[in-house]
Formats: sequence, C-alpha cells, structure tokens
Amino acid sequence: MKLLSLVFKELRYRKVNSSIILLTVIVACTVSVAIFSLSRASENETRKIMREQGLNLYIFPKGTDLIDFYTVNNLRVFPENYVDILAESRTFDAVRHLTGILQVKYPDWKDPNGSSHQIMLIGYKDEAMQRFLPQQEIMGTDVEKGTVHVGSLLSRNIPEGVPFRIADKDGRIHEFRISKRLEEGRGITDQGVAFNLADLQALLGMEGQINKIEALGCVCHDGRIKNARNQVQSIFPDLEVTEISSIAEARENQRLMMNKYGAFLIPFVVLSCLLITGLLFYQNVSARSRETGLLKALGTDRKGILFLFLAKAFILGLTGGIAGFFIGNAVAGYFGREIFRFTAADIRILWNMFIYTVIIFPLLWMLASWVPALIASRTDAAKILSEE
Amino acid sequence: MMLELKNITKKYRKGEEIFTVLEDVSFVLGKGEFLSVTGPSGSGKSTLLNIIGGLIHPDAGTVLFEGADVYESSEKQLSRYRKENIGFVFQQFHLMPYLTLYQNIKLACHKPSQCLQIETLIKKCSLSSLKNKFPSELSVGERQRAAFIRAIISEPVLLLADEPTGNLDPDNSTVLMSLIQEFNSNGGSVIIVSHDPGTAKLANRHISLHSGRVAIY
Repeated sequence: MKLLSLVFKELRYRKVNSSIILLTVIVACTVSVAIFSLSRASENETRKIMREQGLNLYIFPKGTDLIDFYTVNNLRVFPENYVDILAESRTFDAVRHLTGILQVKYPDWKDPNGSSHQIMLIGYKDEAMQRFLPQQEIMGTDVEKGTVHVGSLLSRNIPEGVPFRIADKDGRIHEFRISKRLEEGRGITDQGVAFNLADLQALLGMEGQINKIEALGCVCHDGRIKNARNQVQSIFPDLEVTEISSIAEARENQRLMMNKYGAFLIPFVVLSCLLITGLLFYQNVSARSRETGLLKALGTDRKGILFLFLAKAFILGLTGGIAGFFIGNAVAGYFGREIFRFTAADIRILWNMFIYTVIIFPLLWMLASWVPALIASRTDAAKILSEE
Repeated sequence: MMLELKNITKKYRKGEEIFTVLEDVSFVLGKGEFLSVTGPSGSGKSTLLNIIGGLIHPDAGTVLFEGADVYESSEKQLSRYRKENIGFVFQQFHLMPYLTLYQNIKLACHKPSQCLQIETLIKKCSLSSLKNKFPSELSVGERQRAAFIRAIISEPVLLLADEPTGNLDPDNSTVLMSLIQEFNSNGGSVIIVSHDPGTAKLANRHISLHSGRVAIY
C-alpha cells in the first residue's frame, strides 16, 4: 500500500484533528488574503482621490461626511442658484470660477451588452465667473446639452457610434450623444458620465438642485482658505468649504492605518495558527505512535515516516490555502464594497496572489509539522510495540 | 547458520540506576528452525526479540544474519533488513484502526506477487467474510489471525512472535499456533517468546532467560 494512500485514509479517520488543522489554514489564509486585497483597494482609492487634488476647493452642504462623499450617494442638496448668488456677491472674493455640480451614484446601469454596472453621474452647471474679480478663461467642465462625456472605464463598454443610453427614475430610456470619450486618469470621471446639469436634473427628477460647488482658481494659500470658509458661511450658513486634499489625506490615513493593522494582524494570525497546528500535530504524533512503530517494524524508514506527517501538512495546507484564498477574496469583496465604494470595481481576485497562496501555505504548514514529524520518525518502535 | 547472536548485552538506564536486561547472550538459529524463548517477566525476552528484529541496538555483541552484521549497516539498510527478512507478530496485534482487514495485510506487501496471496491466506484463516471490516469490528482472535497474515505476507525468512497468544483464548491460541507451525513446516524460521509452556513445547528448540542470561540452552 502506498504511503500517500495511508495519508488520505488517516485524514478521513481522524476527522476532528484534520478539520481543526484545515480550519487554522483557512483562517490564516482568509485573513491574509482579505487584508492584502483590502489594502490594495485602499491604495487604489487613495490614488484616485489624490488625482483630484488639482481642484482647489469644494463647497458642500454643511455636515457632509467628506470621507463618504465619493463612496455613497450624497443626498444633501441645495439650490443651484447658490452658485449665482456667490458669483454675484461682493463679499465672496476668494474664488474666481464656480461650477455647480450634481453628483450621484447610479447603481444599475446596463451597458449595450446587457451587463450591469455601478457608475457615477455628474452634472455640470455652466461655469459662473466671480463678477467682481478680473475675468479669465473658463476652467471647469463644459458639457453641451443632449450630450455626455464618457469616462474611460465606461467607454470600453460602449462601441463607437452607439449613443449613451440610461433609464430615468421612471424606467424610461434616454439617449445622449457621446461628444467626448475621456482619457484614463480623470479621477471619479473614469467610471462616470459627465452631463449638462439640466439634463441630469431632468433625468433624476432633481430640477434646480445640486450637491456641491467646485471652486476653481482659488488663491487660498497663506490662510485664505479660512477666509473662503468664513465668506461662504456668512452668505450661506448651511454650506461649508473644504480643500480636496483633506479628503485625500483622510483616505491616505485610512490606508496607512490599514497597512499598520495588516502588518500586525497577518503575522499574528498566521503565527497563532501555526502554533496551534504544531500542537495539533504533536498530539497527532502521540496518538499515532503505535502506527509509526508498526510501520517501522514493517520496514518503513525515517523518510517514510516523515513523509506521512509532512504530506498530511502539505495536503491540509494546500486545501486550506485554496479555500482561504477564495473565502478571503469573498470577505474582501463583501466588506471592501462597503468601505471602498469609489473603487469597489477594482476589488478583484488577485490571481498572482493565488500562486503565492498555494506555495506559501503548504510550506508554512509543513514547517509547523516539521518538529512533530521528526519526533515521529525517531519513535522507539520496540518500546511502543511492547507496551500493553 | 541463518542467524547468529554473539555475546549480546543490553543495558537500560533508569534515573541514576543502570539495569542489565541482557548479558552475554549467544545462540544460533538455522534455517527452518522453531525456537521458543521463555522466562519470567523482565528477563529480557522481548528485548532479545527486538534486537534480532533490528529494532533495538545492543550495547555490546553482534547479530549476524546470513553472515552480515545487522547493526553495522545504515539506518536505511536496517529498515530493508526488517522489510525483506523479518515478520513480526505482537501480543497487541497493532492493526491500523482506519484500514480494513484486507488493507492492514496489504500494508506489509512489498511486491505485487505478494498481494496476490492475500485472498488465499485470508480464506485459509477463515477471514474471507471479514476482509472489509475494520479492526474495531473484529474479535480478538480474528485480529490476531489478520496480524499473523500481515507478518507472513511479505514472505519473511524469520518470524518473530512476541507473546502471540497472550490475549487469546485456548481455541484461538490453538488456531494461531497451528498457523505458525505451518509457516515453520514450509521452511520459515520462527522465534517465539511466550510465558505459556504449552506454546513453548511446540518449538523444536528452546532457550530460557533468567535475569538477562541464557539459563537453559
């Protein structure tokens, strides 16, 4: 009888021992894969938000959770004429260019192939120039009515010549001519569509409403951000001003925190699981002392005995590693979509990590079983077999 | 001579004390001989059997098997010596709990031709209907017969039996001893360790150990 067949039979016979060892691998692998995937997603998230840093100021409804602004639908809206009031105001001189924006997430857009996507819809009001400041050229996004600018990610799903189709709140399909296919690296617009504000408001039934003002060309260094804040709040106490960099910083801090936790949590969980495995293998060796003694009496050498235990560790490490990889990805996918909605689509199975998983975990578990396996290979067969 | 033991000595340390289990034991065993070893508990019978079987290194003396010193060989050669020449029968049977009767016997097969003999031997030992049963489903006698087939399936030249009837009732003891005798009559050599004088009488040679020394030869 082949030793490998003996390994499989023993695995089935000592189900509790085998299952607990398998569980340790699955736990260790799941935690490692999930944290690694989330950490990668967090990195992407931060990178995308960082791209937006070129925009100087945003004006939001007061109390807006800026961390979540890009990840969940910000339903706090305010009238779009606030933009014009600011542009006309003599007391507001911190910013030259003002663009009213309605930005919402559209959870179930069907591409021409019928696949469903979560996309960002961004409606741009025509740019308003601060009336009492020297005039400059338009800086913001200008989208003609009846047309859209399609982000690079969406663009791949829409063939040339095909209009952009989207259902309104009542399920009616509207068509827009694609006047521009945007290049990659446009931040949130990568996975979004830019509309003329009026078109988007009509589509969503949110006429006259916006949820942020992009303030471009701000000269807000040397503490003028504070002035801008005070100026806006003196006109609209229900609005507040923030620098886009504060959002990016918050995300960066979140990413660093995740990396920090990951750097502690992964080794802690893996080492704990390895320790438990070592103890379980030690118990397994004790329980099987008569078997190993008998195999020695039948002529199995030390290598054969080592093989019995290391092969068991390898099989469990491999099985647990594969299972843990998929569970870890599922966990990352589930929680990641909650945490990183902006880059949720980027949380994908990292197949190159699969290779590492199927190599590292079997090896680690063989390492954990190494000392118990050595003990087994040195079993005093004569002593064990003479015991009554 | 097939087997020759020269001045075998084995000592064990227990704490500060050193116990001499075997002292200056020498004897020879020819091919096809049936030797019984008797003696009181602790007289060194099992240790002697394990030394012959290549499981315990003696502290002094040599074990020559077909002219070659067993303990001069490497660990790997010692494993091969056990695999190719020795069959063990233990008092406790030592069947693998997760293998069926058939699989337990097959465990000792080293060549396909040996596996072909399993069915015949199982039938001969009246175990055919039990071949797919696990050890926990077998009676004591059935387990020992299975252990006996496992010991001889690899066609060893020397069968070492340590109190093989120690856990058996008289009927099962008789069955097992007749199987061992049949192995011997087919040319196999046997060394049996037993407390039972009746069992010892079946052998054609006998030695008795007392305090690690050969008392009767």
